[in-house]
Amino acid sequence: MSMEAKTQPMAQLSGLSPRDVLRAARLPIAIVVVLILFGLVEPRVLSLGNFRNIALQASYLAIFAMAQTMVLLTRGFDLSLGYTVSLVSVAASMAMVAMGGGDASILYGVGAAALIAGAIGLANGVLIAGIGINPLVTTLGMANMVLAFASTISGGFPVTGLPKSLTAEFAQGSLLSIPMPIWIAALVFVLLFLVLKATRFGRSLYIIGANPRAAVAAGIRTVPVLVLAYVLCALLAALGALLLTARTGSGEPNLGGNLTLEAIAAAVVGGVRLARGEGGVGAAVLGALFVTVLSNGMNLVQIDGYLQQICLGVIIIVSLIVNRDEARR
Amino acid sequence: MLEVTGFTKRFRGIAALDNVDFSLNEGEVHALLGENGAGKSTLINLIAGTFPWAEGVYRINGRTITSLTPQVAQEIGIAAVFQEFSLVPDLTVVENIFLGREQSSGLFLKRKQMRQAAAELLDSLGFHLPLDEKVAFLSRAQKQMVEIAKALRMRPKVLILDEPTASLTDGEAEKLFNAIALLKARGVGIIYVSHRMSEIRNLSDRVTVLRGGKKIGTVVTAEISDEGLIEMMVGRPVEQLFPKIDHKPGAVRLEVRDLTTEKHSVISASFTARAGEVVGLAGLVGCGRSELCRAVFGLETVEAGTITLGDKPVERPTPTSMLAANVCYFPADRGSEGLALARPARENATMSSLDLPELSSGPLLKFWRENEAIRAPLGNLALRPMAPERKASAFSGGNQQKLMLARGLMKPFDVYLFDEPTVGIDVGAKADVYNLIKSLVEAGASVVVSTSELPELINLASRVYVMHEGKVVAELAQHELSEAQVLSHYFGGRA
Amino acid sequence: MSSETATMTVANAPSHRASRLDRFLMQGGIVITFLVVAVVATALIEPRFLNRLNLLNVMRNFALLLIPSLAQMLVMTAGGFDLSVGAVVAATSVVTAAVMLVGNGYFPGMELAVIIASLVIALGVGALVGLVNAGLVSAFSLSPFMVTLAMMSVLMGIALYFTQGIPIYGVTDSFVANVGRGQFLGLPIVLWAALGVLAACIVMQRFTALGRHIYAVGSDQRSARLSGVATGRTLIAAYMLAGLLAALTGYLMTSRLGSGQSTIGGTLALETIAAAVIGGVSLRGGVGRAELVALAALFLSVIANAMNLVQVDSRYQTLVLGAVLIIALAIERLLLRKRQS
Repeated sequence: MSMEAKTQPMAQLSGLSPRDVLRAARLPIAIVVVLILFGLVEPRVLSLGNFRNIALQASYLAIFAMAQTMVLLTRGFDLSLGYTVSLVSVAASMAMVAMGGGDASILYGVGAAALIAGAIGLANGVLIAGIGINPLVTTLGMANMVLAFASTISGGFPVTGLPKSLTAEFAQGSLLSIPMPIWIAALVFVLLFLVLKATRFGRSLYIIGANPRAAVAAGIRTVPVLVLAYVLCALLAALGALLLTARTGSGEPNLGGNLTLEAIAAAVVGGVRLARGEGGVGAAVLGALFVTVLSNGMNLVQIDGYLQQICLGVIIIVSLIVNRDEARR
Repeated sequence: MLEVTGFTKRFRGIAALDNVDFSLNEGEVHALLGENGAGKSTLINLIAGTFPWAEGVYRINGRTITSLTPQVAQEIGIAAVFQEFSLVPDLTVVENIFLGREQSSGLFLKRKQMRQAAAELLDSLGFHLPLDEKVAFLSRAQKQMVEIAKALRMRPKVLILDEPTASLTDGEAEKLFNAIALLKARGVGIIYVSHRMSEIRNLSDRVTVLRGGKKIGTVVTAEISDEGLIEMMVGRPVEQLFPKIDHKPGAVRLEVRDLTTEKHSVISASFTARAGEVVGLAGLVGCGRSELCRAVFGLETVEAGTITLGDKPVERPTPTSMLAANVCYFPADRGSEGLALARPARENATMSSLDLPELSSGPLLKFWRENEAIRAPLGNLALRPMAPERKASAFSGGNQQKLMLARGLMKPFDVYLFDEPTVGIDVGAKADVYNLIKSLVEAGASVVVSTSELPELINLASRVYVMHEGKVVAELAQHELSEAQVLSHYFGGRA
Repeated sequence: MSSETATMTVANAPSHRASRLDRFLMQGGIVITFLVVAVVATALIEPRFLNRLNLLNVMRNFALLLIPSLAQMLVMTAGGFDLSVGAVVAATSVVTAAVMLVGNGYFPGMELAVIIASLVIALGVGALVGLVNAGLVSAFSLSPFMVTLAMMSVLMGIALYFTQGIPIYGVTDSFVANVGRGQFLGLPIVLWAALGVLAACIVMQRFTALGRHIYAVGSDQRSARLSGVATGRTLIAAYMLAGLLAALTGYLMTSRLGSGQSTIGGTLALETIAAAVIGGVSLRGGVGRAELVALAALFLSVIANAMNLVQVDSRYQTLVLGAVLIIALAIERLLLRKRQS
């Protein structure tokens, strides 16, 4: 009794206390504070055009962060996410070029992307959930295999000759004067939000993350759920890869180098609790926004790109420490 | 020698130990008696320095101690053997016995000397253990012996033994008792926590009874009857705690024949459970009764044997298929296997029933119906507080147990498997659990209870199977059920 | 009578004890098999493998993989992970070269002193990184994986920021000649260094209290703490030793390359984890022996060399490495599945 009691947190009131509200609002407040701080140094940060820019940049990262969240929720990791983006970018581009580079070839590109990402996700999921290999090492190994494919099939060079409409529609296009990538990220957010809230799959992800053994004992088929989580993660990464490819207008073997880290950082900053089955896509989106605001600000005040990398690492550690407090039992 | 006064400890504002006095003399065995949750483990943890006390005075050999860590406690001569072992699975027996107290000369370990000393120590206790085997490969009883040897390596002045015989056979327990006599003669004071009346009577000089975190009294063992002790421990007549169950054994709901698990934790075990009766599984911790329940539910791999539900044989049980076949299992350790503690109470109550048409259609979850669906089960169990959105971890032990039990009320099941249903919950919650069992059985379900609490078996079960080292060694009918009868089969030999 | 009961318990619990297969696997059966097959196959397919110069080359690469693999092993047996090992190598390579560049400028003619000073400073950087890693992991009980991932980002950022990705030249010539290319008794100096580290690790693991405590903390931190092991200090020791070894790797790599490079070590996290895992280090901590990790590192070096000899594109080599890692783990999991409880 007493040992258990020790592991339980302080009793909470069933209503929201001011502390809970403050805790929930922590990240939005941080985002505003960072914006204002950069705005003091460089007024352009606070312009409407830059806000639009931030939203646009954040929408790409948000998709990757949401992808990573799917597996983080289950106590997993996907270190192969970044290189999956590279491979999908290259392979989808090659498919489009091979199919003539017309508008219709976009469909083949999407098909190739889905196929490749699906295969990577399936392989990850089967190795992790089916055979039971540590997710970290599995996806680390997978990352290097995927990287090898990405760099060899492209010969290391960008794939050019993509359909013009790809960039025109999916990168520069807009609807109701809101850029297409933002719409797509918002759509993904809504869909995943519903998946987590209103499907058995979503509920199972949380339960597995909170306690895998309890999930098994409660009759949840954990293997298919986990496999699906990794497949979903890879497919979302592929979607993001297509959007990034549309933005650059070519298939880039180096597209995803830093994305794994950024996606994990965004999710963790947002508060997706590693190994605790807490958090959600909302957290991932906020985290992505925070990371983007920070890097956008650093770009505008002309901080070296390498220093930004240092900041990213520091932010991960700081947010781990900050989020730890409320997780403490 | 050791004296604590006014000891108080609160968890989450609730007093787990409330103004308790306790003393221990040199060469004395002082038994600590109480139900689960009475505060025994809190008291011994405070004495051993596992966590700090809130109020009270701690004196040892006339010295007042203001704060304590496990390390300091060991240095001043207090050693503890808890039920939860402090052994490192990947180190060997010798390495574990000397862990944290290695003997070195300069930088290097005196490996030969330590092995020699460990061998002598185990020998003096009469324990025969493979010295160079990794602890991970030992049986629970062997681990218990290593743990005891490890505590004695320090030559403690105070030794705390928390249910040390829970997993020992009587031969092994006998050796432990001999060792206790030896230590007593050397002047070591021993705090002995046990449920078993016979041990307390044979070993102890004094008994302190705790209930609900309070001290009920300290008595000289020779001056009180068993009934008197039980009265002190339970605080109310036994009949009031256990409801009278009206057993009406009907058709066989579950039949297990010659079941052997892959890990050989269960060997060729057979039992039947009928509708309208409570079947008890008795035995030492680690005797295989938990594993038997788990194997039936598909949580342990079955190597041989058959499981039949009604008249349908079960091919390869999995939790999913067994739940679908109306078998419900409640794990012993709700923290590690029962609940998703970080998730709301609501999700914990429904997690095994998401396939019910009330809660889902296809892959979609009818989350707006969820609160309605859990209202009746949680209401029946009197969950306190009734806050379905609160995290499971924020409830008390008894209420966490109710959250888990609520799963069994989401739909009518044919067979309920309870594994240690009342571990770590207070008396009130216990009564609630027993009443739940009563209502399930009287509604025609078949209930299997695996427990280490003998009173539960004697007062609830219509039949009891006793297990020993993975095998079923006896089947006792209701009229044969008494503590002595059941215990006599615990060690297999006399079955 | 009483002694019979006890021995009976042992005999009655065969499933608890290690089977012969388990023993073989635990004592490095997989690694030894892999290694023998790889060596024989390579020698048969490509006889140039046995060429003295080629073997020397294998030895050098082996040495520079062995040292960081032992670093990884230390952290993993303590129940952690070190993804920052490659970044430490890159950072200390830059530091080594920078110290030499600056040192030779200010103190011409004091080559030996500068060479030693650069070693000391590089080791200091490595130890500091280890201290920070361990501090974050143990004081805040953060995930070692996340901490070292973040540390990797920080270190790479620092190394790249100061060099802007350009190699630092000006490494002392005699350093390259005597350490990087030097030989002693016909074997490369770097190999001697690696073997020295290996011997030290073996002794540490088997014959010192620290070694035992690292296993204990990795195997079951709670039990170790209750037994009186200073878990925080043990973790700090493990991570700092790992940092020192990674720094030594960076130093020795600089001696081979003749310049300080911020871009080396990219795949080292993968390679060292692969060596450790193939060498039987448990991902859950508490299990792992230096000598088997050494065999695994040798195996990986032989494979890499074989692929070079038959002119496999270097990019495919990462593919093979990733595949080997996953396959080795899958084999281990499938064979030992029954042991998992």
